[in-house]
Amino acid sequence: MQKLKQKPELLAPAGNLEKLKFAIHYGADAVYIGGKQFGLRSNAGNFTFEEMAEGVAFAKQYNAKVYVATNIIAHNENLAGAADYFKKLYEIGISAVIAADPALIQACKEAAPDLEVHISTQASIANWKTAEFWKNEGSPRVVLAREVSVAEIREMKEKVDIEIEAFIHGAMCISYSGRCVLSNHMTSRDANRGGCAQSCRWKYDLFENGVETDTEVSEEAEELYTMSSQDLSMVEHLPDLIEAGVDSLKIEGRMKSIHYVATVVNVYRTIIDAYFEDPDNYQLKQEWVDEIWKAAQRNLSTAFYYGEPTSKDQLYGKPERLPKYDFAGLVLDYDATTQIATIQQRNNFGVGDDVEFFGPNFHHFKQTITELYDEKGEPLERAKHAMMITKVKVDQPVVYLEMMRKQK
Amino acid sequence: MTTEYQPELQATAKDLDEAKRVLAAGADAVFVGNQQFGNRIAGDFSIAMIEEITQFAHELDKKVYVMVNAIYHNEHLQTLPDYLIAINDMQVDGIVAGDQSIYQLLQDLDVSLPLIWNPATLSTNYQTLRFWSARGLRRAALSNELRLDASIEIKQHLDRAVDIQVHGMTCIFQSKRKLVKNYYDHIDRPYDPEIERYIREDKKSETHYPIFEDSNGTHIMSTEDLMMIDYLDEILAGKIDGLKIEGLLKSTDYNEQIVKIYREAIDAYLDDPAVYQMKKAGYRQAIYQIQPDARKLNTGFYFKEQIY
Repeated sequence: MQKLKQKPELLAPAGNLEKLKFAIHYGADAVYIGGKQFGLRSNAGNFTFEEMAEGVAFAKQYNAKVYVATNIIAHNENLAGAADYFKKLYEIGISAVIAADPALIQACKEAAPDLEVHISTQASIANWKTAEFWKNEGSPRVVLAREVSVAEIREMKEKVDIEIEAFIHGAMCISYSGRCVLSNHMTSRDANRGGCAQSCRWKYDLFENGVETDTEVSEEAEELYTMSSQDLSMVEHLPDLIEAGVDSLKIEGRMKSIHYVATVVNVYRTIIDAYFEDPDNYQLKQEWVDEIWKAAQRNLSTAFYYGEPTSKDQLYGKPERLPKYDFAGLVLDYDATTQIATIQQRNNFGVGDDVEFFGPNFHHFKQTITELYDEKGEPLERAKHAMMITKVKVDQPVVYLEMMRKQK
Repeated sequence: MTTEYQPELQATAKDLDEAKRVLAAGADAVFVGNQQFGNRIAGDFSIAMIEEITQFAHELDKKVYVMVNAIYHNEHLQTLPDYLIAINDMQVDGIVAGDQSIYQLLQDLDVSLPLIWNPATLSTNYQTLRFWSARGLRRAALSNELRLDASIEIKQHLDRAVDIQVHGMTCIFQSKRKLVKNYYDHIDRPYDPEIERYIREDKKSETHYPIFEDSNGTHIMSTEDLMMIDYLDEILAGKIDGLKIEGLLKSTDYNEQIVKIYREAIDAYLDDPAVYQMKKAGYRQAIYQIQPDARKLNTGFYFKEQIY
């Protein structure tokens, strides 16, 4: 086995300040966020400068980093203010920006030369020569296109001394990212400036051209056409990416929930740590895979990592019925003498519900709720009000910021 | 020193016959290429065919551009350098590329193939194109999702030739996956790549998006064909350098006629803008007469606002 220098970074999405804190608390080494300008995902929460500063301060306590996505493909009128923006990010203590448009890459280099620029997946970097190009331009890291295989990544790392960031989990562009304007054409929403309407997941009629009349294949087959892709998950194969030399393992999803981010980060943190504990005897545990499925929103695939995806990696027909879980409550405190946890309600729960507690370092247990009280200690049947403070009798000790989930 | 403004009428070709006919019909430059390295090439040109059309074009004092606009993977890089050297030796007039590695490759190979930078959706502002100009871009092919005034603004701020598409379908999606074959596998039907196909938005019977696969993946094209014959005055007043006619999925007869019409219209405008204005309706009429029924004509994004 090759000697591994250091653990790769686990990089998680953070749509807002609360998600940032959970991602880091649950084990992310770095998070990427969006600001109010120059970022895709215009519908994600996105951070003010003040929130960024608070996020950076929080991350520091964990020795974690904060990156800002400035990944739009700009039009002429979108570039005003870029220099000030990058200067401000650097002052705040942001560790890197993720950019695809050379106009923004250049603006950052000039305005904030010490702020790292990571080249975004929107630039479709799919070969080692492009990685070499960006290395020569002074960028320390490239985020690869989702279309590369594990073998191709290995070759890139052998040929070019540059950090590689690769997706390990989450929803996928079915196109080469950035090379799709379906949304622009079908809805007048500019996908490359944050307006993507996800037209690739719509249903279409498919026709074959005929001499006299065209054949509506989708009608004959009683199955509409779509480009929709399953989500990516490398939960069962993470060592392959680590051994190929990936420097940053990236989870997709700035729009995803706290429950999703905490769950997925927790699993990959556990896997990375288990692998580095003893690489030669590493073994995948079924409970890690099971845990990933509790946050899954679509069926999961390894996409391009082991060859070209087939029809089995697509989503046709009705959405699959996956068990869905709610984030029911957040642990704020625990009294060891009474075995009572203080829990902030995040979704309706009550006496008789089967719930699962989980926290960082893959701490897990299941129980049925038998005793529930309000803040003043009055017995309750159900915790119905959003964010209400409750007291719950727990079977095992819990700690601050652990979570309680419940199957829908 | 000022040079006279002489815009270039550019056309694609699926084979030698079409290449010769669009050049004879008035195109100043023709795009050809090999499927291995190019995306959305109307036909497949071998090295020998490229050599033949280059000689033909050069005798007419016209240009040949070779499309090497695939998104490259490591595998492409094993054969692409030899290919670039071969077409450089036959003195083609440029290559069309859209993968950033081309800047490193051309430098490494030390060949002076003029580079037409066409990264499809990513050519959207002049600061970006200045970045690439400093690294070897010779001509900039702009993204089709720009307004015409934004395209002209780019031209005004860029010290390089600027090309825009004026006619034909535009590419709106590229996936590396075999998204048509996958569907046929899923519905358990044999897939014949030779059949032309299109998809239609649910409950929008007027839509018609051609979809096809080539060796670089699946491509979806626009529901309408661009037609800018009515706005050549704005384009030419804006000093756009290249006006491209995309002939993909069209017959040679159609492409030859379209080139003729645009040639005449451009020449009319350059000779006397008033004559162009007078004849404009006739040009438009001539296009409508040969336009396939299934393909609507419009002005794409040139006069359209987008939200984001």
